[in-house]
Amino acid sequence: MTTRSIARDALGLGLRIPHYPWLFEHWPEVGYFEVISENFLGPALPPRARLDAVRARYPVVLHGVGLYLLGHAPLDEAYLDALCRLADRVDAPFVTDHLCWTGAHGVSHHDLLPAPYVPELVELAAERAYAVQRRLGRPFGIENLSSYVEFGRSTMTEWDFYASVVREAGCWFMLDVNNIYVSSQNHGFDPGAYLDAVDFSRVLQVHIAGHTREPDGTLVDTHDHPVPAAVWALYARAWRRGGPFPTLLEWDDRIPPMPEVLAELSKAREARA
Amino acid sequence: MSDRTAPRWLGELQAHFGAVLRSPLDRSTGTLRATPAEYDPDALGAVLDGPRARAAERLAVYNRQYWFRLFGALQTAFPLTARLLGHWRFNDYAGRFLLAHPPRSWDIDHAPEGFETFLAGALGDDVARDALVEAARIDAAWRALFRAPATPPFQPTAADAARLLDARLVPSPACAFVLERWPLLELKSALASARGEAPVPLPAPLPQARWWALVRETAGIRHLPLEAREGELLALLRRRTVRAALAALEAAVPEPERAALPGQAQRWLAKSVERGFWTGLATEPPSDEDQGSTQV
Repeated sequence: MTTRSIARDALGLGLRIPHYPWLFEHWPEVGYFEVISENFLGPALPPRARLDAVRARYPVVLHGVGLYLLGHAPLDEAYLDALCRLADRVDAPFVTDHLCWTGAHGVSHHDLLPAPYVPELVELAAERAYAVQRRLGRPFGIENLSSYVEFGRSTMTEWDFYASVVREAGCWFMLDVNNIYVSSQNHGFDPGAYLDAVDFSRVLQVHIAGHTREPDGTLVDTHDHPVPAAVWALYARAWRRGGPFPTLLEWDDRIPPMPEVLAELSKAREARA
Repeated sequence: MSDRTAPRWLGELQAHFGAVLRSPLDRSTGTLRATPAEYDPDALGAVLDGPRARAAERLAVYNRQYWFRLFGALQTAFPLTARLLGHWRFNDYAGRFLLAHPPRSWDIDHAPEGFETFLAGALGDDVARDALVEAARIDAAWRALFRAPATPPFQPTAADAARLLDARLVPSPACAFVLERWPLLELKSALASARGEAPVPLPAPLPQARWWALVRETAGIRHLPLEAREGELLALLRRRTVRAALAALEAAVPEPERAALPGQAQRWLAKSVERGFWTGLATEPPSDEDQGSTQV
């Protein structure tokens, strides 16, 4: 069980390598940092040493991309063991991963891939998520995807599917409002209806990020731009509906200097007003 | 842990979807383009047309992401090689490598493993082959050093000294010995802060090959110059007992050098221990890991 906690209205940042020099010189005021779990699961010394330095000053939460809750294959026991060790080492207040599959038939595609929204897969993902949370011994949050396809086999909306998995697993929402917006534009649904399906008393954290519009109008979840106005508006709506909740900015490509990223993060306060 | 088995149809769907993701991008127009017309019909049949794009175009987003993400991972793992080849040509080799060796681990940092060996074969009789292979091996060594765990250095006891000759020094995973025939380490350092995708010219070969020890330290990777014979000895010590390494070096040097060799070898050996190049003594033969890419 974790001994660290994060304020319910905390603002956090995704920790990225280009920020290390500035971070280690200035130690800015940040509510907490989120790290990509897989970057720290191996034995390599430099990432571990940097994580220890960050963890000594800030709460650190783990955000994974390698669990494959909707994979055809069973969960990877060795991966889970390593994740549990890392969570214990950083005393993570919570751990999150995605409602997706990535690998199949022995090949990992290193992308967050959707599956059909059907009750059969609610049961599969929920049972796995429940087991993961028990094994971690700390809250486990499940993140909604941004997606570019819909399957003919689906019999539920994405938000009903997501909410059902979280509810049946007894886990938490790791709600990404940029992902809701991206998928709503790509699939033509009302993002407000998505928010209505969320039980905000079970929201562990909210992600915000930027995206890119392709020439054909498809939105791609690139995390390489400031948060667009439409995503801030959706964030504000979520805050009114269920705030406070910890809020984290992800910026993964074309990463600007850290002061610029912190300035973007601070806009969350304005959006809440 | 959960005992529930995923439905069979999910495995089939993921197999078809995965095949689409791994469909090679077309290079014939000078840019990398997805070719949705060639996608697995079963994957296409499972996906609906959307308000902005048809099913094939929607799948193409994932197809492009798969390749660009992995090209990025390989460029990051082999930055010197990527710049010498230029990204366009590098991506061609990377694509062929990934088709033959798709990623198997949840850790994307494992995806580039073995690329240096693949490239050595794929370059065929390229005029710059030897330099490019050397560059790829330096990149691989660098990467292995970065990924190495923390290991305490060898601190010999009196008992160790007594058995040293017939034992093998266990190499530290945080140290590599590099024989350089082109000034590639210098180029690698210069390119670290110079972003770009165009090929950079290969520097002229060095008048004489030179040895380096690359040592991973807290602040980064340090280059320590080695004398030529010192480098040869350290490379031999990675694979042989101290006695066998010394004998092999002695046999390799010309007669006039032999008289000074025992004293020099003792000094090099002591210095290598002081510098933390070893983690201990072993009597068994070296493992694959000990013999791995950290000797270039």
